[in-house]
Amino acid sequence: MTLLRQYRVSSFVLVLLAMVAFSIAELDFAMLFFSVVLAVLAWYVTEGPRGRTLPEWVANALILALLGYSGFEFVVRGTIEDAMGSLGRFLLWLLLIKLFAKRTRHEDRQRFTLATMLVLTGCLESVDLSFGALVLAYAALAAWTAMLWRLSLGADAARAARATEHGFAPPLEITFGRRASPQFRWMALSSVLLIFVGSVVGFFLFPRFAAVGLGGMTQGSVTGFNDEIDLRGGDRITESRRELFTLQWFDGQSEAGPSARPLLLRGAVLDSYDIGGQRWYSRRGGQSVGTLRTATNGDMTPLAHSETGEALTARFRARFEMRSLASDVLFSVYAPVAIATSESRTVSIDPNTLLLRDASDDRGGRLWYYELLTNPQPDAPLLASLSKQARSRPSGAGVGFPVAEVEPIARRIVDEVSRTANLPPEPEAGAPPEARWTRNREVARAIASWMKSNFTYTTDLSGFGRIPGEDPIVSFLERYRSGHCEYFASALCAVLRSLGIESRIVTGFIALEYDERARSYTVRESNAHAWVEVRTAEYGWTAVDATPEESLFAIQERNRSFADRFRWIYSRLEFLWNSSVVSYDASTQEEFAQRMQSGWYEALASRFDVINSRMQAIAQSLSLGSAGKIWFGVIGVGLATAGLAMLIRFVQRRGLRMALRIDRLPPREQARIQRDAVFYIDALRMLGSAGVSKPAHLSARGFAEALSARDASIGAAFAPIAEAYYKVRYGRLSPSKSEASAHSALILALREVLRHNSRARKTD
Amino acid sequence: MLESTVKPKRRTRLATAGVIYALVVLAVGLAAGSRPNNLLVWVFSFLVAALIVSGLLSGFMMMSVRALRIEPRRGRVGEPLLVRYEIANASRVLAAYDLGITEHGKGQNRLEVAGPAWILHVGPRESLHGEAVFRPTRRGPVRLDEFEVSTSFPFGLLRKTLRFQQVGEVLIHPEIIPLRLDLLAKVTSAGFGGHRLSGSSGGHDDFFGVREYRPGDSIRSIAWKRLAGTGTLATVERSRSVPPRLRVLVDLRTPTDELRVAEGEDARSLEERAIVLAGSFLALADRLGYEYALSVAGLDIPPVALRKGHFHREKLMSSLAALDLDAPRARGNGLAASDERATVVVVHPDRTDLAVAPSDAWHFTARQLDSLRERSKRQESEP
Repeated sequence: MTLLRQYRVSSFVLVLLAMVAFSIAELDFAMLFFSVVLAVLAWYVTEGPRGRTLPEWVANALILALLGYSGFEFVVRGTIEDAMGSLGRFLLWLLLIKLFAKRTRHEDRQRFTLATMLVLTGCLESVDLSFGALVLAYAALAAWTAMLWRLSLGADAARAARATEHGFAPPLEITFGRRASPQFRWMALSSVLLIFVGSVVGFFLFPRFAAVGLGGMTQGSVTGFNDEIDLRGGDRITESRRELFTLQWFDGQSEAGPSARPLLLRGAVLDSYDIGGQRWYSRRGGQSVGTLRTATNGDMTPLAHSETGEALTARFRARFEMRSLASDVLFSVYAPVAIATSESRTVSIDPNTLLLRDASDDRGGRLWYYELLTNPQPDAPLLASLSKQARSRPSGAGVGFPVAEVEPIARRIVDEVSRTANLPPEPEAGAPPEARWTRNREVARAIASWMKSNFTYTTDLSGFGRIPGEDPIVSFLERYRSGHCEYFASALCAVLRSLGIESRIVTGFIALEYDERARSYTVRESNAHAWVEVRTAEYGWTAVDATPEESLFAIQERNRSFADRFRWIYSRLEFLWNSSVVSYDASTQEEFAQRMQSGWYEALASRFDVINSRMQAIAQSLSLGSAGKIWFGVIGVGLATAGLAMLIRFVQRRGLRMALRIDRLPPREQARIQRDAVFYIDALRMLGSAGVSKPAHLSARGFAEALSARDASIGAAFAPIAEAYYKVRYGRLSPSKSEASAHSALILALREVLRHNSRARKTD
Repeated sequence: MLESTVKPKRRTRLATAGVIYALVVLAVGLAAGSRPNNLLVWVFSFLVAALIVSGLLSGFMMMSVRALRIEPRRGRVGEPLLVRYEIANASRVLAAYDLGITEHGKGQNRLEVAGPAWILHVGPRESLHGEAVFRPTRRGPVRLDEFEVSTSFPFGLLRKTLRFQQVGEVLIHPEIIPLRLDLLAKVTSAGFGGHRLSGSSGGHDDFFGVREYRPGDSIRSIAWKRLAGTGTLATVERSRSVPPRLRVLVDLRTPTDELRVAEGEDARSLEERAIVLAGSFLALADRLGYEYALSVAGLDIPPVALRKGHFHREKLMSSLAALDLDAPRARGNGLAASDERATVVVVHPDRTDLAVAPSDAWHFTARQLDSLRERSKRQESEP
């Protein structure tokens, strides 16, 4: 039987899928490789031509060893945070041992349970799209396999019951009807589909008590972007090619085109350095932010107005389309002037940093796109308008660096730079601040240029050890002179601050990869970037990037692959996944419910209005006056009653056709039989009321025989009715008046017998 | 087809797997509710939806299932009893899967299930037969009251059951013990019951007589010498052999509680063994081509003439099967001497009583059953 044979393959694939899913959740590709190879090997060894399995004692010994090793590993090296990971790894290896063990029903049950536990453990570890897709596939296959398992269990139990009788009972010959496999597939697929629909409904209705704690980034969305720089961090930074979003740049033209320079997309501003933690972070406490609601129709909403109340103008327009990014950070080019979003959102703007955020209550990156009007070189009035709510600049902020060793290094660097570059002289005391800001910008650019020439860019820092007691920035400047953008930005900012030049670090993305066909930049995870901004006006800052651009382009080219053409599909799906599933929380649920509610209400109300207006029009045309509504009410009730009656009649007739087994006859013949065989229908109804219904698979005569076997008197009363029915049904007899009265007499006799029996039963 | 037309009783139970599943669902639900992990929420929803779909699917599936028991008329102790069930699926759309059928009722103490009926699939508008094997343990009529059709499909979480009331009866014949083949030859050779020639002509070789020729007589049977001597056509008739005849008498005149039994011996069991021995004599006689009959002393059983053949044998076995040992016994009702030319074998439960049968009858007791049993070659070679 094909169905029963399918079970073994199906259950093996299920286990394999669970192991793959967990490995993906852990992002452990070594585990993925070894587990898949070992699982396939297990299939070949146990199910192959030799059919060998591990002896039970060996399997038990391996399990004990695994248990001991996992326990030891967890106690010695494990952490509470990684408890689920440890448990999952233990389950995975246990599952592998079980795959080599002898296959029994008991073992099958254990494998199924372990595989499900493995997937559940994975659910606690990851919410990535790839893992989510595997969970969906696992769930569907598990439902399918469970059905096959049920059939297999039934067959095995029936076989086993006969086998224990030692040849007494003949071996089981499995009984099944026509097209068992296609019907099973149909039923299983429908069931899985129904379960999926139910699960989606359950997902949306499940009570959520708190918002998903996602912070700046949606959980599970690893984007490469970070709102702080930890110089003690990993040795490698991501080179992931995952698409986050695309950017179209409009230079006052209707068609998009490339920018003259790489676009720096600001996400976070880091203005403080923690010596102990060796990290840059943002000191945001107490800063006020302005919020606004974007337009619902996709029009631009100004982020600020000029002193005269007019909208600010800008030459450039940037359109961001989400791929996989689901974040509340709205990356922007300096300096944003107006914003338009795919749906109306609350957007906040920090007047000190001009950073934008999606501050809507229903959090999560639900925006499909947003557009910005921007002015990369804003003038003072524009900046003043944007930074209206900014507090007055704190004195000394952004000047001076807490690591004392940096200052002499900075002096040496300036000396070295001044030999080759023509730096403006130090402005005199009492000179206007603009002169200092201009000099600061030139110095910063000169130092950045010097760093580009004398330092090398690398994403792999595994060869550069940490020097105890030495700040990583000092190590970078003095010892290694090699690192990635975070080190370049940190070093430049530290040097500038040590020289008294007010500066800060900005993290975000750099748009390098321009697609000529799509006329847009593709921004990937690997485009995460950090650079420096130097104050050049009361509210103005200028970006200075010390990272060699040619290195960034080289890495971009090196990592380019054929798969990039299709990667956007996955990225788009990931965006959908993150924005619709992962970040679905209490507020989104409430909004969803309100939309649904208002949607229904509005739809009903609009329909009612349409009907009402038409009724009024008809009443006017017929000059019914105020009585028109009553007339329409009466007609409506009448129509509804008639409809209901027709429905009942249809259901009854259908039941009759089924009972008489005439549903395949031509309609005319059906009508004739229903008209002429009323007596038979009455008899069936009477019997049905007495608790004896005619099964559809029994003929009238067969039913009469069955009744006789049950109760001779009822059978005797029904038998002539059945015979008369045959005359009508197959003999095409139209009963005459006398025959009709004879039929009535038969019915009365049957009724009498049934009454008599009923009385007798009550008396008993 | 008896009371199958009555609507079956429906029942739904949570299977053990279902209880475990419910606990797992609860645990996943708690985990999903306590931490903001939407994947867990979806898994929880999936598990709940699977439970609901499981209940709905099996419910709809069983809604259209109808069943009829087709039981055999008779069975035999020690031999498999096959009971068939006709399962019809009246649904137009849904197929029914994994249908197990079990018997319920009072008759179950006489039948052991040796192989339950199980049907993998019944398609829409299809009707199939499933077969269950029972092992009858006791002689006598067995009443089958009701049976159950159940399924745990699709996931084994819920068990849906339809219980059909259908009264049926199977008559269980006594067990047949293979007796020694020479046993009957020994008991019949000495008396009237052995081989002999019939009083009428037949198809054997021995000469029986000559009669006048009748059209249709074979030319090979014409008495040529008579024709030559008298000139008239005559036909030679041959003798006809009559098979040995055996009448088995079961002596059940003594009530069960008055039987003389040794310590630890069960009187009713002795009576049953006597019936088994009588049945075994009849079976052996049938096997050897004897004419045979059965008489029962002590119980009101109508006398049966000596016959042979399958139907006769089944008739006698049914008589033995239907013996009601709880019925009152008639003390003096033995086998009177008659001119019936047959060897009489009397089977007594506890001890022989010569008065029950003619003097030339052979008497056996139930305790001799094992010693009369046919021995295998290996057993025969043993000292």
